[in-house]
Amino acid sequence: MIRTRTWILLFAAAAVVLGALSWYLLSRRTEGAVVQIVQDGTVLREIDLSRVTGEERIVIESPYGGSNVVLVRPGRICVAEADCPDGVCVHQGWLESGGSLPIVCLPHRLVILVKDPAPDTDAVGH
Amino acid sequence: MNVKQIARLALLTAIALILFTVEAQLPPLVPVPGVKLGLANIVTVYAMFRHGPRDALLILLARVFLGSVFAGAMMAFLFSLGGGLLCWLVMLPLRRILTEKQIWVCGVIGAVAHNLGQILVCLAVYQTASVLVYLPVLMLSGIVTGLFTGLAAHFLLGWLKGRI
Repeated sequence: MIRTRTWILLFAAAAVVLGALSWYLLSRRTEGAVVQIVQDGTVLREIDLSRVTGEERIVIESPYGGSNVVLVRPGRICVAEADCPDGVCVHQGWLESGGSLPIVCLPHRLVILVKDPAPDTDAVGH
Repeated sequence: MNVKQIARLALLTAIALILFTVEAQLPPLVPVPGVKLGLANIVTVYAMFRHGPRDALLILLARVFLGSVFAGAMMAFLFSLGGGLLCWLVMLPLRRILTEKQIWVCGVIGAVAHNLGQILVCLAVYQTASVLVYLPVLMLSGIVTGLFTGLAAHFLLGWLKGRI
């Protein structure tokens, strides 16, 4: 039998480690300004956010039914509208050119991510 | 399977489904896909300890399937199924090693396993490692929400003991 105190210590330690790790991953900033709109594993569009001057709305139809409206502005991109049931992608807000956290729409299998400028550098290299 | 068993399974499945559906109406707390309370986990932990792994699995499968049908998102079915099955698998050995006062531990580990299973399905579906960025956040949220649902199941089991 494992004592209750051991379980509590184990979970507390795991929470601290995971908290630090998530904070690091979520606040990590990459150099890249090139974002990719990926649906079902295929890259639909590649946009260099630093070269965007005006505003652009892109409607992306999903092969699973429904669509997402992607809004591109200078230096940032977001999903403005979506007819998926949860709308998590809309709630995620803007993806800035330096950000690292991809916008994900699970029901429509859509991912908007910042392209890693140097795929060879790993976490240690950073 | 006798009538009493069937009625019990149906009742627990209905409770799990209600929790699941009501929770789906709440707006997301954190803007990270996959972070949620997971209230239906209470029923899974309860069934695991009170009625055994077989009942827990049947309730889990029925809830995951019907929940996805009601929510109208069959894509979410795969994620729920992957998470639910891994959750059930890790609960199997826990059932043997946990004492009566440690049942809440099962909720925590079950929730973490559920989120881990979801990420694994996500990896298989999207074929991209970028979803791994979410892994630490999802596991952390599993610890927090699992503590809540685990304690809920823990007190429920203690309170219902000898009453039904």
